[in-house]
Amino acid sequence: MVHPFDYRIPATLGEACDLLWDFREEGKIIAGGTDLVVGLRKGDLRPRCLIDVTRIEALRKIEERENGISIGAGVTHSELASSPLMRQFGKVLSEAASWIGSPQIRNLGTLGGNIINASPAADTLPPLMVLDAVGRVVSKEGEIYIPLSQLFSRPYETVLKPYEILAEVHFPKLPFTIRSRFVRLARREAMAIARMSVAVIVQLDRGRFEDVRISVGSVTPTPRRMTEAEAGLKGRAPDEAGLKLAAHRVSETMIRQSGIRPSTSYKKPVVEALVMRAMRGALEGSG
Amino acid sequence: MERTIKFSLNGASIEVSVPSHWTLLRLLREKLGLTGTKEGCGIGECGACTVLIDGAPVHACLFLVPKVEGREVQTIEGIGTRESLHPLQQSFIEHGAVQCGFCTPGMLMSSKALLEKNPHPGREEVKEAISGHLCRCTGYHQMIEAIEAVSKTR
Repeated sequence: MVHPFDYRIPATLGEACDLLWDFREEGKIIAGGTDLVVGLRKGDLRPRCLIDVTRIEALRKIEERENGISIGAGVTHSELASSPLMRQFGKVLSEAASWIGSPQIRNLGTLGGNIINASPAADTLPPLMVLDAVGRVVSKEGEIYIPLSQLFSRPYETVLKPYEILAEVHFPKLPFTIRSRFVRLARREAMAIARMSVAVIVQLDRGRFEDVRISVGSVTPTPRRMTEAEAGLKGRAPDEAGLKLAAHRVSETMIRQSGIRPSTSYKKPVVEALVMRAMRGALEGSG
Repeated sequence: MERTIKFSLNGASIEVSVPSHWTLLRLLREKLGLTGTKEGCGIGECGACTVLIDGAPVHACLFLVPKVEGREVQTIEGIGTRESLHPLQQSFIEHGAVQCGFCTPGMLMSSKALLEKNPHPGREEVKEAISGHLCRCTGYHQMIEAIEAVSKTR
């Protein structure tokens, strides 16, 4: 049984901030509701008021700005998957969004919701890490910018205060010469949480790695870049030995961050193979 | 906390008074008597509750009623009648895509939305369009063929 609550639909971000300021911990932002309504039914959440942000136009835009791309937190996964701007400048994120859930889930679920829900298996997070995404967070107190790599404190938890709202995410435009890939491992092709995912962006200069960015989902408590593996590749030629070394560093980082668990004997060889698959895919493919 | 919601349902404008915490699924089935939309899981995983909101398939079991304000909702009751079946309904029957019938309404809504957006989908696009639906009876083959058959007539 769902506990009764009040439901408000602010027309502007300012109104939403005022409402959340008043309700604090007893208020909850709702966008698509694909995670939240399930939580309500289970009884995990008992807010006094839901604040629906899906009618705020400013949160629904995907825009090209001079220094990068800006995505409103209310943009749905369907919109991310089909946006020409995203396919051109943020393909790794667009690709990841296209795999989330099912068409019905993608029509409702939003980028902001996926980020704030902060699941270790969230599909948009590894792409956001390799894109060096920054979040604009607003409240009655004003606005701040937080690199998304600093947004997460533990699984399912962000550093945001109860009265703060993630309004948009932006990332710098990368050169056309970069290549990216998102790969995902799950029990089924649809409607299955990622068992593991890898997002990579690579740029070569005269046949050597100039820029390498790797992030792996579902293997660490909070999303991060695999900087140890990235450092090992910079300046190297993209040969099998280099890829193997990077893959090995990723699995070492995973074990260091998450400890040895019952799943480690599965995840260790699989994360190494998946990282190599993603790297090969990025290097062989175009864009 | 009751609230009055005004929206378009299968082409007709309606106004209802309903508790804020109800889902669209519950409103359709329990207040409006439209039981064609089914509850299979209640958590957005099986697709049996799929309806179209402004033409897009969504899970009615996750759609809280206040969100419906001002939107166009289409349910299985709105796509065809007993006397005049929707081509997809006719095709599902002809291709043996209906056994117990529980997944059928949701499946039809997603199929309709697909063909409206993309009249000539490839097989992979058809599969993707119904990827949010679980069927325990048929093995999905018959639905795919039924949808492809309709797309060939357009």
